[in-house]
Amino acid sequence: MPTATPNAPTSSRSRTVRFAIVRCDGPGKPERTELFDVPVEPGANIISCLQWIAANPVTIEGVRTTPPTWDSGCLEEVCGSCTMNINGRVRQACSALIDAVSPSTTPPGPGGATITLEPMRKFPVVRDLCVDRARFFRNLERIKAWVPVDGTYSLGAGPTESPDHQATRYALSTCMTCGCCLEACPQFLREDKPEAWDTSFVGAAVISQAVLFNDHPTGATLKPQRLDVLSGPGGVNDCGNSQNCVKVCPKEIPLTESIGAAGRQVTVHAVKKFFSGR
Amino acid sequence: MNGSKHRVIVVGGGLAGLAASVRIAEAGLPVDIFSIVPVKRSHSVCAQGGINACNEVARQQGYSEYEHFDESIYGGDFLAHQPPVYEMAHWAPKIIDLLDRMGVPFNRTNEGQRDLRLFGGSLYKRTHFAGATTGQQVLYALDEQTRRYAAEGKVTKYEHWEFLWPIIADDGACRGIVAQDLRTMQIRAFRADAVVMATGGNGLIFGQSTNSVMCTGGAASRCYQAGAKYANGEFIQVHPTAIPGADKLRLMSESARGEGGRVWVPAIKGPSGGWTRHPDPARDPRQIPASERYYFLEERYPKYGNIVPRDIATREIFNICMEGLGVAGGNMVYLDLTHLGREYIERKLLGIIEIYRKFVGEDPAEVPMKIFPGVHYTMGGLWTTYTPKPDLKGMTLGAPNSMMCSVPGLYAFGEVNYQYHGANRLGANALLSCIFDGLFCGLGVANAVRDAKRLASDEPQALYDRAAEQENAKQRRLVEGKGDQNPYQIAREMGAEMTAASTVVKSGPRLEQALAKIAELRDRAARISLADTGMWTNQNLSFARATADMLTLADAILRGGLERRESRGSHYRTDFPERNDAEFLATTVAQCNPDGTSRIAFEPVPKGIVEPRKRTYGKKDDAPASKPADAPKAPALALAAT
Amino acid sequence: MSETAHEAPAKQQPFMQRHHFLLRRLHSLTGVMPIGVFLINHLLTNSSVVWGMIDPKAGKTGHGGVATFQHEVDFIHSLPYLIIIEIFGLWLPIAFHSVLGVYYATTGRANNARYPFQDNWRYTLQRVSGYVGVLFIFYHVATLRWGWTFLVPGGTRWSAEYAASTLAQTLRGHASGLTLAGVGVSLFYMAGVSLLVFHLANGLWTAAITWGLTVSRQAQRRWGYACAGLGAALMAMAWSAVIGFATLDPVRARLVEESLRSAHRAEPALTAAPDAAPRRP
Repeated sequence: MPTATPNAPTSSRSRTVRFAIVRCDGPGKPERTELFDVPVEPGANIISCLQWIAANPVTIEGVRTTPPTWDSGCLEEVCGSCTMNINGRVRQACSALIDAVSPSTTPPGPGGATITLEPMRKFPVVRDLCVDRARFFRNLERIKAWVPVDGTYSLGAGPTESPDHQATRYALSTCMTCGCCLEACPQFLREDKPEAWDTSFVGAAVISQAVLFNDHPTGATLKPQRLDVLSGPGGVNDCGNSQNCVKVCPKEIPLTESIGAAGRQVTVHAVKKFFSGR
Repeated sequence: MNGSKHRVIVVGGGLAGLAASVRIAEAGLPVDIFSIVPVKRSHSVCAQGGINACNEVARQQGYSEYEHFDESIYGGDFLAHQPPVYEMAHWAPKIIDLLDRMGVPFNRTNEGQRDLRLFGGSLYKRTHFAGATTGQQVLYALDEQTRRYAAEGKVTKYEHWEFLWPIIADDGACRGIVAQDLRTMQIRAFRADAVVMATGGNGLIFGQSTNSVMCTGGAASRCYQAGAKYANGEFIQVHPTAIPGADKLRLMSESARGEGGRVWVPAIKGPSGGWTRHPDPARDPRQIPASERYYFLEERYPKYGNIVPRDIATREIFNICMEGLGVAGGNMVYLDLTHLGREYIERKLLGIIEIYRKFVGEDPAEVPMKIFPGVHYTMGGLWTTYTPKPDLKGMTLGAPNSMMCSVPGLYAFGEVNYQYHGANRLGANALLSCIFDGLFCGLGVANAVRDAKRLASDEPQALYDRAAEQENAKQRRLVEGKGDQNPYQIAREMGAEMTAASTVVKSGPRLEQALAKIAELRDRAARISLADTGMWTNQNLSFARATADMLTLADAILRGGLERRESRGSHYRTDFPERNDAEFLATTVAQCNPDGTSRIAFEPVPKGIVEPRKRTYGKKDDAPASKPADAPKAPALALAAT
Repeated sequence: MSETAHEAPAKQQPFMQRHHFLLRRLHSLTGVMPIGVFLINHLLTNSSVVWGMIDPKAGKTGHGGVATFQHEVDFIHSLPYLIIIEIFGLWLPIAFHSVLGVYYATTGRANNARYPFQDNWRYTLQRVSGYVGVLFIFYHVATLRWGWTFLVPGGTRWSAEYAASTLAQTLRGHASGLTLAGVGVSLFYMAGVSLLVFHLANGLWTAAITWGLTVSRQAQRRWGYACAGLGAALMAMAWSAVIGFATLDPVRARLVEESLRSAHRAEPALTAAPDAAPRRP
């Protein structure tokens, strides 16, 4: 079987791109930057270049180093694993095509194109480009991001739903917990102490998930509990409305609409609580 | 926390693993989930098209659970055992309802009912979908339920832990696992009264595939090396429509064809009706007139057209390119959605359209997509057993051996299980089989554990210490290796060889050659030296270990293919192009030799309720299309549903 | 609701966390009411030094702006319990809004270099304008209301009786002309009021999201136009006030005020006939 590579387009050219990778051997270890020159074919992306470097871990000075460590999974931008800062902007490495990230054809060297890779800065670094996003998942647990069904036995269909309502929920439900919105948020700061997570800002994605589950007829039974979290410390009130989240979201989730909706729900929730005395 | 002295380990946090965890936890047993990645990032997120189930609309058009069962058996070229498939097809509507209740945003009709789409291998709309990211949505629903159980202390997640070995007690039963924390690199033994493997497929053995980077098949291979049988390894689904890429092949869902996408190549129709290569095959596809577009699937399969099953579509696309009819003479054909209109495409297929836009940089609403087959799914897997109902119409619910491996106490659910799909999986049956395994067979696991006479807590600590030490020793050998071999290079050569020898078209001599190559690579793998010998988040070490395990499984895949001297489903031998039911209506069962090679036996497929029939999907010879096409009719026996 | 066992008992939480929602929302609310409403009023009053010039009634006095402004100031100073209104309606809310605002601003870390989006610049500017605004308001109130003249170049004491002239003199540094220090004060005023106007307009925009009034992107955009419009109008007033006073000749203004005063002493109303009322001691 021939390899499943398309015939190279006539405009194709192989070139060399320099990578500056921020490395760190582990929590508490110092950071350093290592440079690698990578031969790049058209259609290459950051992951394919990282794979090349992992197989040939030699810096431009000719020094043999350890292969860089990074997280990846689906490579189709649906799992959220390979989120990192590429040229200073947070995004998924798999969907970052080299020709788009570094269109310059100048060969590496002074004035040449360099692609900078650094880990997400809002989460503790595990090693090199790997970070620990446990806080993110903990926050999903705090806002009870689930529909409390009666169990896994067959109890008939779920509620019917208009196509518009489905479209709204679907958009929110494509959140892959990648953390781009958190990385770009000026209000979401790195917090390494797990005991401080429950009072630190939850960030756009988690607010949006709360809105998603509040919007489901069965999910709404936990709405008061979710809104208690969202109105408390680290909740939606901590949002500073910089709206970076919605601009960096790779899935184009309307995060700022979720924040507005959460604001409204929290307002109503507070008024209800005030008058019901609970 | 649950005070139960029982414990169940589930390895893998994809659909099958999470469905099993939720079901077993619900039955009152504490569950430990081990996953290399956070479970929400499991490979199940990549499933795009949908999930099959008989529904009211299809039912009133003559479809039924029985038809679903029959299609799946026929689609799998009669290699699948029938009772499990029968049971799965009948559970499918319940599973859809359950997912619906869990909040999966299935696409809706104007009235608010679940919308349906057409999928390969069926003439009825029976595929439920959530945009073009159904797998993601379904996985998230189960992830959410798992999170809920984790919050309630019923499930414990060990994320970023890699399964290393099943711990088998002196009575031959699996009573735990050895696993490694991929951050601290700590190796630990864990006790369990049952271990469910839900570790997915092995696409990485083929180098580039549509699979995620963790789909090495390493976990399955380790069970196989520990004595579990491996079945039907040679049946690897090559998806007809993938987008070639530098790092992986990205799937272009079958739903693109189900929603009306047409496959064609530029060609000239000769006076005799045959098609020949277009003189200018590289020109802009939008400029090519209809008369110079060869819709070869539609011409050759008038009944199913573009939605023939995957193995057939793959072979046809492959052959068209071999005949030199591919786009620009290369290994590409067009998958054309442009006639469907942007609004329709974006509403029904947005997820996959975006993948194409992002990774290729062209808009499928404007320009036909360029696609080529890519390794996609592992029909084979760990050999499992079950208890059929006496009339063969389904499996016995709650039977303790439901999808149990040849090692007692070790189970295989989902893609790592060889059941359900036979020689070829129908599109949108994978999500179904994963969830079905978890829910249906999870109950069996719970029963088995509750009724067990001997528990993991009864086993001596030495058993676990020994198992952990054995893995530590293996790791030391790898870390201290001073050889000249790079694991990435070995993996690359293995991928290229496996793709060339054991995918769309195979032959005896080529498979033998590949076996020799794998043997060579196995020798070289013994001389690996690591570029990173540190003991903190050492991905180099994990990859090197998996590479050796992939080679072991590759041997089983190749040898199964070599000894199966027939063609069936996805397995096509040029030297044996016909199906041979007399000899090979049988499961390939591989067992691992101490040196990592495999020995193959064939175990006849038990008689089921439908008899094997010729599997043609109404194929027409590629002759002048003078006579009218066969009128579409129901594809299978017109038996009433039960 | 019952299922909040997860969270720590309320008593153990620090004050800020225990009353997180209330404080956040009071912070937002005080920004709009009374502070925002006051700012609109205040700018309306102070820009009267410019718009008053087109008032035909006030024009008779020689400088309509000075006259109208004096009239507005007189009205404010005629309010009963002014000091109570000031303390509870203004100074305390401003102090509350400022202290909390500065505290909240420290919970963020601006990242405009990496994410130079317009919205993100407004996020940062909102905080910068808050910081500068606090300083400016303090200076403004201390010098003009509390009479901390040692902070005023030239040492001018603002007087409600001679509102325009003393204000002009404060901004210009000297009664007879613009000193260098005066330019500094004027520029500080320009910056201060501009930032506060921005702070209000942008704050109104974000408050609508915080309270959940604007949810959809379209609603946020439309309300954004409304806030921008309001901001532009306030900015025009703010600038005209600062420029109006910074270019006002205190000596001439003083003459206008003196004539007003004498007219006022004669008649309570500007339009009344002169020479009728008795002189005040």
